[in-house]
Amino acid sequence: MISPEKIMFTLALGCCGLAAAGYLLSLLVKKVALAKASTWILAAGFLFLTLNLTGAAVNSGGWVNFGSRHFLSVYAWAISGIYLGLQFKTKTRILGAFIAPFILLFLITAAGQGSEKSLVPTAWQGWFMTFHLVLAITGEAIFVLVSCAGAMFIIQNSLLKHKKLGSMGRLLPSLGDLDRINHLGLLWGFPLLTLGMICGAVYAASFWNHLWTADPKVIWAFAVWVIYGFLLHQRLAINWKGLRMAVLSCAVFVLFLLSALLIRFCFSTVHKFI
Amino acid sequence: MIVLVGLNHKTASLSVREKLFAGCEGKTNLLGELSAIDGVLEILYLSTCNRLELVAAAEDAPQVLAALRFFLVHSGNLTEREAATCLYGYRDEEAIRHLFRVASSLDSLVMGEAQILGQVKEAFRQALAGNFTGIALNRLMHRAFRTAKRVRTETGIAANPVSVSFAAVELAKKIFGTLAGKKVLVIGAGEMAELTLTHLIGNGAEEITVANRTFLQASALAEKYHGNAIGLANLTGALSDADIVISSTGAPEYIVTAEMVRQCLRKRKNRLLFLIDIAVPRDIDPAADDISNVYLYNIDNLQDIVDENIKNRHREALKAEQIIEEEVAQYSKWLKELKVVPTIVSLRSKAESIVRMEMIKAQGWMAKFENGDREKVEALVNGIVNKILHAPVVVMKEESSEFNSQDIVAAVRQLFRLDD
Repeated sequence: MISPEKIMFTLALGCCGLAAAGYLLSLLVKKVALAKASTWILAAGFLFLTLNLTGAAVNSGGWVNFGSRHFLSVYAWAISGIYLGLQFKTKTRILGAFIAPFILLFLITAAGQGSEKSLVPTAWQGWFMTFHLVLAITGEAIFVLVSCAGAMFIIQNSLLKHKKLGSMGRLLPSLGDLDRINHLGLLWGFPLLTLGMICGAVYAASFWNHLWTADPKVIWAFAVWVIYGFLLHQRLAINWKGLRMAVLSCAVFVLFLLSALLIRFCFSTVHKFI
Repeated sequence: MIVLVGLNHKTASLSVREKLFAGCEGKTNLLGELSAIDGVLEILYLSTCNRLELVAAAEDAPQVLAALRFFLVHSGNLTEREAATCLYGYRDEEAIRHLFRVASSLDSLVMGEAQILGQVKEAFRQALAGNFTGIALNRLMHRAFRTAKRVRTETGIAANPVSVSFAAVELAKKIFGTLAGKKVLVIGAGEMAELTLTHLIGNGAEEITVANRTFLQASALAEKYHGNAIGLANLTGALSDADIVISSTGAPEYIVTAEMVRQCLRKRKNRLLFLIDIAVPRDIDPAADDISNVYLYNIDNLQDIVDENIKNRHREALKAEQIIEEEVAQYSKWLKELKVVPTIVSLRSKAESIVRMEMIKAQGWMAKFENGDREKVEALVNGIVNKILHAPVVVMKEESSEFNSQDIVAAVRQLFRLDD
């Protein structure tokens, strides 16, 4: 018999697939109504994923025993939750065309992983580790959102600069809204990532008796944190806004994505469960 | 039958429209006079600045068409030539189609504008209040409103702005998202700049600053919109504060240079800046558009957007025509069926009266029936009668929607002796 947890996950996967298709179709046919409908479908997917994760937490005796499927699901859950939350603040439904494929990718990868098999070594499992992972994942998820908004900003800016608003320009969100996402994303994402890293460092200190390990993933995460912080600083103190921030966010995201993949597949790291 | 007589901006000059408008509006009981015309069953009078039309439900379409035409010619003191060239008259499907096109704003000066639907609704409200409409026009007007709604929601006919000032507002929304709280700087006091300013304020823009070479003129405009007036010497400071700048001076040289914009960006903390240059010759250095986070649109750029939008509306109009054809077909079918309704009603009431009479006659031998048996017999008889009548009723309806139902109606009336 299929477990309710599995049913919830399948429903979430189905909804996210449908939402991603709807968003991409709305971009193709240039109808915002389709994107609006896809937002509701994504919201349903988010609800199913929440139920799936809650069920998993209850069944496995707490968050501490989460498997690798669940961690990837948390990634998808965080991105979709933040994106849906933003819909209350900004009219940027079409942003889903950029976000939903990411969410779907995380869920498809999660589906390929066994729910019972935890790649986090049993000796490491605990509340501190969970905090470290969830906070770091949420911080990174927000950065995914910021980068997607940045990509849209670049397209919209180009359309407006070339005086070719057209149906695509009308479909894409306003520059003001996209820049606001960049601002809010950096403002919320950086503290979360910082807290996540502090949790990791404290955990490492208690486990290995030193705060810092020369692990490629740790160096990568530290680089992310520094550049994240740099962008936030430039935004708040030097007033970098608009196109410059959009371009930088996208460039940094692409760079980090490539280096993360490189680390994951070419180096040995203690963080290979993510 | 539906007939429609009138003129509009395409067929008549403003002077002819004025003449007819004055003639009709001068009549105290216009709808009363129109309904008194022989053959007019229901009437509606629609008048806007671009059109004047009479819509009627009539017994004899050609006769009523001629009578309404005659009425308009005399009311507006139109010459024979004016009447021949300006007035149009439609009947049946053509009249229905024209009304649906008018309500859907396909026949408007600015295609897709929303005002016309309100004016058509008002015309209907007045006719309805005076009891000048009946089943045919009531249904026709509700269909017209439904058609207009479908056209607006199912096509993009009203989606994009077709005036320079609205195009500027749309761009401002695409740049800032919301215009609430945005600061507007108006340089010069041109008519177009003021119109754009009005639309921006209507969409939430606040804090207006007016800069002009003549301080008095700036003050007058600023006062009108509860804003501040400044001289051109203080322009750099005002540029630092503004989010949207509208420029329309008659100056031969650039009033806002790229260097001025670049300098004020630091003070503006790199906030997005939308520059609208509707002056000819231009007021704002085109090089300002190369600066990041600055968006400069001149009158040609805005006009290009408007032209593109007009083209789009014409493309969408083709879809709208299809919707109108569907609605015209549905209403025409209903209207044709309406003609056979009195015959169907007569047929049914004759059958019911026969049943009633026969049931009274049979009261004697049915007296010995037990409880409920009488009702069973009555239900059986009614069922048989309904089954017999079903085929003639359906055939009459079908014939009426396809062909002229006069012959079949006459045959049914004769066969069942409905006129005795």
